[in-house]
Amino acid sequence: MPEATNRLHATRFMPSVVLRIAVLVAAMFAAALLTLAIGQRSDVGLGNLLQLLLVDDGSLARSAVVDLRLPRLLVAGLVGANLALAGLALQAVTRNPLASESVLGINQGAALGVAIGAVMPSLIIVNLDVMAIMGAITAGIITFTIAGGLGGRLDSIRLILAGVTVGAFSFACVRFAFTLEDNLARIVLTWISADISSVSFAQVPALAVAAGLGLVASLFLAHGFNILSLGDGASQGLGLDPRRVRLLGALLAAILTGVSVSAAGPVGFIGLVVPHLSRRWFGHNHRLLVPVVALGGATLVLLADAASKLVRFPFETPLGIICALIGAPYFLYVTLSARRLA
Amino acid sequence: MIFWPVRAGLAAAALFLSASLSFSASALEVKHDLGTTDVPDEPKRIVALEYSFVDSLAAVGVAPVGIADDNDRSRIVPAYTDIIGTDWTSVGTRAAPNLEIIASLQPDLIIADTSRHEPIYEALSEIAPTIAFDSLTGKYDVALESARIIANAVGKSAEMDARLADHEKTMEGFKSEIGDVSDLSIQFLVDNGKGVYLHTPDSYNGSLLAWFGFRSNLKPNGGGTYTDVIAQSSLEQLSEVNPEIILRGKYADPGLTDSWVGQPLYDAIDAVSKGQVFDINAHEWSRLRGVLASEVSGASLVEVMKKVAR
Repeated sequence: MPEATNRLHATRFMPSVVLRIAVLVAAMFAAALLTLAIGQRSDVGLGNLLQLLLVDDGSLARSAVVDLRLPRLLVAGLVGANLALAGLALQAVTRNPLASESVLGINQGAALGVAIGAVMPSLIIVNLDVMAIMGAITAGIITFTIAGGLGGRLDSIRLILAGVTVGAFSFACVRFAFTLEDNLARIVLTWISADISSVSFAQVPALAVAAGLGLVASLFLAHGFNILSLGDGASQGLGLDPRRVRLLGALLAAILTGVSVSAAGPVGFIGLVVPHLSRRWFGHNHRLLVPVVALGGATLVLLADAASKLVRFPFETPLGIICALIGAPYFLYVTLSARRLA
Repeated sequence: MIFWPVRAGLAAAALFLSASLSFSASALEVKHDLGTTDVPDEPKRIVALEYSFVDSLAAVGVAPVGIADDNDRSRIVPAYTDIIGTDWTSVGTRAAPNLEIIASLQPDLIIADTSRHEPIYEALSEIAPTIAFDSLTGKYDVALESARIIANAVGKSAEMDARLADHEKTMEGFKSEIGDVSDLSIQFLVDNGKGVYLHTPDSYNGSLLAWFGFRSNLKPNGGGTYTDVIAQSSLEQLSEVNPEIILRGKYADPGLTDSWVGQPLYDAIDAVSKGQVFDINAHEWSRLRGVLASEVSGASLVEVMKKVAR
């Protein structure tokens, strides 16, 4: 095995890595407890949370925690993990640190898929979830095609510009819905601002399956992602078809994004911020990054969800808005510090 | 509410003033939310860009030539078509009315909504004199005041005064039928299947319910934009608002609230446990505002209150 991949793998069992993962897991549980504890009811707090979760005392406080906040927590956490994994895959296959679902227009494509379904129910293929996934895949294909395809001539600048174009076009079409009838506009707006205040357990299984498959698939692809980072020449030298890894990675990202967007709406910036922070703390080995990114994504969206509940009563502040508030400044920071891009 | 006698007095004064002025001038200066506009005497071709302006015109028997009816003629309910007929041209949605169609109607007056149509106010003004009132986020008293000014602009002040006197009688009649409700908290909400929207005390419907004497468990927040006066909410928040009566307008069936039935938090809401969740006509309550609309709402409220155990 060449020295470069050895070096990548060397970090795997360092004690400090285990410690850092333990900290991340603890942070995720803390964020989960926080978002469970925060809400309008004054009879639920960090103090009695575990008791409410574990003991069915038939109280309204327990119902608020188990029937309302728990599904919301699961949706937030799973969406976070899915979007972060999608972002990691996209950054690996494009070898571009700015790649993510929102930057490449995939989020907006999924939004367009749902908006088309909401405005013209006769065009719905299967259901809105499938519309979101199809929108995500279509937007991804268009962006990658404009940027030079998956064949290895992917141009960084063109990729970002193509993503911005596809994203702007999709969102312009989505915004068209605002000029339509008020109630329709309100449904589309609620949806694109990623409001998860009224989710139920029904949305959890699809997200959980996607997260599980996404995690396994990402782990299988992790070796390929590592080798891709060495360049196409090196990958072919190592007997790996870079096009296959790219195609699978991009497809995985589109499916993870589509499933998440159909459940929660287009939550932006998670796929950009989380892989970045993770690489900073855990290095560049994708075998390690995959679980770290999933944990980190869940943690960040859980925190954002907790923050979204603090804004004002009786209004629900959509999750997407909080994530954009976190993500936009970080995006600016990454853009300014990404010297290698040009 | 003190606005009745005060408003009536002011309007009478304004009427006298404007009547004495209009003898000498061929145009009437109308003060409205987006400025002061010269309106020709007794405009004949009027375009209404909100349902409440159709309401105001219908109240004095004037038929608009164009209505932003959201491309659905049934949005203009029989209470209006009985008076204005069905000859209007649809000028598209209220959110984005079609300027070309409006221009093609060669109107001599356009009535626009302050917040919705401010961005296109200049464009509308180039087509015809345009006056704007706060229909979308204005309260009940604002709707009546707008009706008065609109009637004045179309030369029907005397008719509106008579109509408003009738209106007051009708509404006071409803009020006495409903009786003292100052100890009852009520909440009007819209359920569109994806979300619930609470009409706060700062909204038209919130203020209308307050006029009837109901309590609201929501604190007024001083008004503002549409999303300030109509709160997108959730089950946990609604359970904290905990009204004794819920007036529910459903745009989708089954609604989101239907999926909450059986959840302890929903079933424990006072209105739910007492069986006091009442479905009312979402379109009439939520989209229609004004003189006729509030009478329709008042009549349905009387029916609802007959079912409430007192």
